[in-house]
Amino acid sequence: MLRFNLSAVFLLLAAFLVQQFVPAFTGLSHARILIVHLVFLCAAVSVATPTMLFLAFIGGMLWDAHCSLAPMIVDPEVYTQPTESLRFGYSILLFAGMGFLMQGLSPLFREGKWQFSALLTGVATFLYLAADYALISFVRGDFIISRSILRLMSYTSLLTMLFSPVIFWLLYRLALLFEHSLYPEAGKNKRRSF
Amino acid sequence: MKPLNLIALLLFLAGATWALTRSEPMVREIQVAYFKAISPTLKSGSELETKARELLSETKHSKELETELSTIRGEIGRLRIIESRFQGLERENAELRHALDFKKVTDFDIVAARIIRRHPTTWWQTMEIDAGDERGIGVQLSVLSNEGLVGIIDRPFQNRSSVLLLTDEKCQVSVRVEGSPEVGILSGQRGDFDSNPMLRLRFLSKNAALKPGQRVFTTGRGGIFQPNILVGVIVSVERGALDSEALVRPAVDFDDLGTVFVVLSDNH
Repeated sequence: MLRFNLSAVFLLLAAFLVQQFVPAFTGLSHARILIVHLVFLCAAVSVATPTMLFLAFIGGMLWDAHCSLAPMIVDPEVYTQPTESLRFGYSILLFAGMGFLMQGLSPLFREGKWQFSALLTGVATFLYLAADYALISFVRGDFIISRSILRLMSYTSLLTMLFSPVIFWLLYRLALLFEHSLYPEAGKNKRRSF
Repeated sequence: MKPLNLIALLLFLAGATWALTRSEPMVREIQVAYFKAISPTLKSGSELETKARELLSETKHSKELETELSTIRGEIGRLRIIESRFQGLERENAELRHALDFKKVTDFDIVAARIIRRHPTTWWQTMEIDAGDERGIGVQLSVLSNEGLVGIIDRPFQNRSSVLLLTDEKCQVSVRVEGSPEVGILSGQRGDFDSNPMLRLRFLSKNAALKPGQRVFTTGRGGIFQPNILVGVIVSVERGALDSEALVRPAVDFDDLGTVFVVLSDNH
């Protein structure tokens, strides 16, 4: 189990490298496949809570390192209303929130019903983006929801969700490699049904 | 809750608090370390993205011609900027002479850079260029194209920099409207992910007499942008109870940017 958990951490780190190759789809409101989030969400449902929290910490911190903007140092007499930025590290909490959401389906996943978790990755990605955007709006003021924002969130969630079977398959292979069972309850249910 | 989960949760909260309370220099150190670690793949990723973009634009030029054209475009852009700058200086000089005053204007330096990645993050309107610390690029330097203002340097790294585009809400610019006494603050609009993003010009006077088609230039106030850089053109004006706002179409076509110029030094 320890080796599988470690492999999940390395998979998340590898996702940051792969993310560099994923461009935004300009024709789809700049939507993109969030590989990092997807790996985290898929791993979150397949590991225990302490490991999920560790993954959330690493994932959130590195994602903020990837994305956060520098504060603008301007003349306050000219720029009287500078635009605020979110604090570095806020994504850690968002990742953890989505991780707990994914773990809600952990019983089904342990029975081998990964399809529900795959669907939930799309929902969780959408909620993550919505929470992210809500936080930005809260810090900067003026809650504006436009069609392009909704399209961005929807397309990103959908595209990300479509790739979730690939990540679940990768996790399954890793589990096999490290002699860990992702679906420990699956056999029991079969035995019960017979 | 299991004791192990409780301990993990407490440790997690302690870690999150640690991250949330990091100072700006520490955040920058973390970012430098992060980008240093992923730089090999970043380069490959950028090349892949550039190639994909070139393929999508159905370019028919050979690689040699493409390189030559890119160099010439870069040179033309640089010369246009210098020319426009000299025109600005000439005008400024005339104004100053007229006022029986004189102001020494020192030389400025420009670094040409190629765009290697666009929109690497979800919400921010940013791009990355292939020039960084090693070419003298620092934070909050103006980035121009031969059409006008592109944005500012957000974070410079060793051999690449992140540019905050003019179309982002966070990029605020003090501007004036040509042929009018109106000055205001221009910025992008949140969540404007359309291919033709518009800018919002705020804090205009209540009865601002502006017309569509009037050009918008930087004022040079606020310590970031040089004066007289073309920013965009007025599209419409919205009058409010206390002030007016205008929608501005950017002078730069952000979808068609290849080479940009970073203004290294300018005492204005």
